[in-house]
Amino acid sequence: MKKAIFFLIPVCLSVMSCTKEKTDYEAEINMVVTEHYEFKEAAAINIDDYHISIEALNGTFYKGYNEIRLKISGANTNENINAPAVTFLPVMTNADGSRASCPHRYNLVYNADDKYFPGYAVFTGESGTNETWELYISFTINNQSHSVKQAITVQEQTNKNLNMTTFTGKDSEQYFIALVAPQKPKVAENELVAGIYKFNEPTSPPSGSFPDPSQFSYSEVSDYTLQLDPRMPEPSMGNHSSINNKDLTQQDDGLYHGVVNYTMTGNWTLNFIMLNQNGKILKGTEVPTDFTPGVEGVKSELYIDILF
Amino acid sequence: MVFGILFLGMNANAQNPQAQNDTAKVLEEVKVTALAKKKIQTEMKMAVSVDEFLASSDNISFIKRGAYAWEPLLNNMSTERSTITIDGMHVFGACTDKMDPITSYVESNNLSTIDIKSGQEGSLHGATVAGSIDLKRKSTPFTPEKKYSGAYQTGFEFNNKQFFNLGNLSYSSDKFVVDGSISFRKAGNYYDGNNNEVTHSQYNKFNTSVGLAYKTSPFSAVRVDAIFDKANNVGFPALPMDLWLSRALITSASYKQLFQHGLIRVWDTKVYYNAVEHYMDDTKRPENLVHMDMPGWSTTYGLVSRANLKRGDYSAEIQLNAYNNLSIAEMRMYPQDRSKRTMFAYSWPWVTTKFTSLAMNNSWDISENSRLNLGGSLGYNYNRSKYVEFNWIFHPGTPQEKSRVLPGLHASYQLTVKQFDFSAGAGYGHRAPSVSEGYGYYIYNSFDRYDYIGNPDLKNEISYEANASAGFKNEKMGIEAKANYFYIQNYIIGRILSLGSPMNYQSVGVKGYTSLNHARIFNIALNANYNILQHLHWKGMLTYARATDDKDGNLPFIRPLSYQTSLHFMYKKFGIQTSLNGDFTQRNFSPEYGEDQTPAYMILNVSANYSFNIKNCKIVLQAGAENLLNEYYSTYADWGNIPRMGRNIFTSLKFSF
Ligand SMILES: [Cu+2]
Repeated sequence: MKKAIFFLIPVCLSVMSCTKEKTDYEAEINMVVTEHYEFKEAAAINIDDYHISIEALNGTFYKGYNEIRLKISGANTNENINAPAVTFLPVMTNADGSRASCPHRYNLVYNADDKYFPGYAVFTGESGTNETWELYISFTINNQSHSVKQAITVQEQTNKNLNMTTFTGKDSEQYFIALVAPQKPKVAENELVAGIYKFNEPTSPPSGSFPDPSQFSYSEVSDYTLQLDPRMPEPSMGNHSSINNKDLTQQDDGLYHGVVNYTMTGNWTLNFIMLNQNGKILKGTEVPTDFTPGVEGVKSELYIDILF
Repeated sequence: MVFGILFLGMNANAQNPQAQNDTAKVLEEVKVTALAKKKIQTEMKMAVSVDEFLASSDNISFIKRGAYAWEPLLNNMSTERSTITIDGMHVFGACTDKMDPITSYVESNNLSTIDIKSGQEGSLHGATVAGSIDLKRKSTPFTPEKKYSGAYQTGFEFNNKQFFNLGNLSYSSDKFVVDGSISFRKAGNYYDGNNNEVTHSQYNKFNTSVGLAYKTSPFSAVRVDAIFDKANNVGFPALPMDLWLSRALITSASYKQLFQHGLIRVWDTKVYYNAVEHYMDDTKRPENLVHMDMPGWSTTYGLVSRANLKRGDYSAEIQLNAYNNLSIAEMRMYPQDRSKRTMFAYSWPWVTTKFTSLAMNNSWDISENSRLNLGGSLGYNYNRSKYVEFNWIFHPGTPQEKSRVLPGLHASYQLTVKQFDFSAGAGYGHRAPSVSEGYGYYIYNSFDRYDYIGNPDLKNEISYEANASAGFKNEKMGIEAKANYFYIQNYIIGRILSLGSPMNYQSVGVKGYTSLNHARIFNIALNANYNILQHLHWKGMLTYARATDDKDGNLPFIRPLSYQTSLHFMYKKFGIQTSLNGDFTQRNFSPEYGEDQTPAYMILNVSANYSFNIKNCKIVLQAGAENLLNEYYSTYADWGNIPRMGRNIFTSLKFSF
């Protein structure tokens, strides 16, 4: 009897093990998406007696939206100092020598609680042979102004959930939409955050020494609406969509917040229609809502693809 | 009856004759309250599958998705509404598409009986609405002398080239019993009544079981049991996918104690563990442009402890059930460009169910010819969805955990007046939604072609039930009429959601499980038998059911007026049987739930057998034909109107000693 039981146990154990392994759901999402939540130094500049440190997530500037934290300290102290009139300007130089910037916060205001200057930059391209990026920073301490420029490297954003798009609206203005959150979506209700920016056409030719900020002016658009229709573009998914999504509207942080529901992992297209403060469509088209298995989903003329 | 048999064996050795009488009486009581089917064979066929055997019962019907693993409907209600157990153990299928009802994990040669109880009488094993089906395993009693017994059965069925081999062997002694069984079945595609091949209807099944019992004292014994079942390459012609592999391991260890004196006569406690895995396969269907993996796992462990009580005219059964089940089902879709990222979701997002219930059935013999039964159960059901974010898509903010209290009550009165007997009863009970009904996520139902979404906030389904029967019996004949009526509040069913778009390639929309205000189900069955001559017997059965929703619309999968009638003639060692069965036209079908009208059909079957002995070995030879007239038909419950099997000639041979 006892022998029989001892014989049975290993037999049981061997048939108990599963034929196919269960999916590790957390690892499944991590496979495509790496989430960064630590700010590290991405650029460091020494000027006169001061040290400037610019921090970004993962210590890297990526194409798309980058939240930055600028810190100024005395060269020999680690104490962060407040300074009035800090300006921040990213400039991109093309192979032909032409220059442009990208959406960014120009005048930085010190955050006394966290002891840094918060800002952002929406880099529109990656550094390469045709494109180089520099940061122009200036600040004034003790009535003495300091200016410096620093070359940086903008890397490719591999996380498609932080994609961006650039387009010209029906009002002939140049717009930028950059995804800010979620970095790592879930099969769930996700808060979708995006920045919407426009380029302010200069009204007068450049003046003074380079750079003339009036030539590189961008602003966060106010009170626009970004209508959302998420769909899975894959033909096999037949234009599958989700429910309970909310259009993006501007909140106090200047960014646009809405809700997107992802019903499964994979490729999704965020189809948008952008309306101005008067409800006029500036860009985007309605997408078909029928279930069309075997046919690739039709996209709006304004869309961003994501993947998780 | 498992412990009944074991019990008798131990009893043969009991020293106290008084105890012997009493315990035998206890057994009788148990037998009377159980409406058990006796032997796993029908009159027509001795080598039946578990499904075929169940089909001969008047309150069981089937949803058929192919030739294998039929879903048993009890009182015309689907498996969510009944508790299906193996020796009281809860086992849950791992398939979101119901390809694996529990009945598919046993085999006829490791079962002794199937115990079917209707309505709340079945609440002993757990909360139920429709009733309970308990599959009782074979267990050989202890014998004073060492004894071997066994059987081997083989056969061939011509229509689908099914070849089967079933063997079982037992050894028993005063202290020790071993039971073992093994079976193989292999079948190809079957042919319908127009002689067309029904593709994807093949199956392969392997099943083995072992049981060891050891008598620890004259009044106590321990027993360990295991069943291993494996089905692979099983076609489901009515579904867009097949089964690649399904495996189940069902184990238990039990301890039984008999008492010579006092109120408690038997106490039997069992711990169990079972694991089921299920992998579907859609690669053999060219119509699927998309390939999808749909693995499922279901693991359950639990405890069942029961006691039989008896004092004077009073007897009772008390049963404690507790189990924990984890159900997981995944969907992984492959894009056309295989190098691209696959798409993933859970159809069962790691759903845990914990259930505990305490149930009791009491009976009093009020007089020589009347008895009152009174029973009740109180259950506690807890669910937790690990990846609740999947449920939040359709039910934002729904709690991750949900507890329910599930009470049940029933009463009945039986009266015997001369050759007549009557009974009347009533019941009340709750059930919790199943894993799919509560937490299912885009489960594709190929019957109505909708994707189904569970709702964790569904209310308990509450059943109010009444039943009655009347019968007459003498040596020559018997006739019995039985009827029951269920009024079910918060009846759970899928309703079209205007929002959301389907996920599965072949679906047309999304349905969410919702509660109807109520539904009503009425079943009636008429059984009769007549002994025309000493060796010529006639039997007949007529059943009818009617079920409506709260708007008086028809519910789906309700059996139309149907009949079975058979003649059985014996002459010396020969036996000849013929039977006729069929359904009338389905008049009350439900287009709303994807049904169309099924026409009437009638099937004629015949078989003959010859039995003889060689030494101690009994040999039976049988040959016969099902659907002799090769009728082309499908029944009201054939998923997607797939045609049933045409003429099937079967042969079998059985040795037993
Ligand atoms: Cu399945």
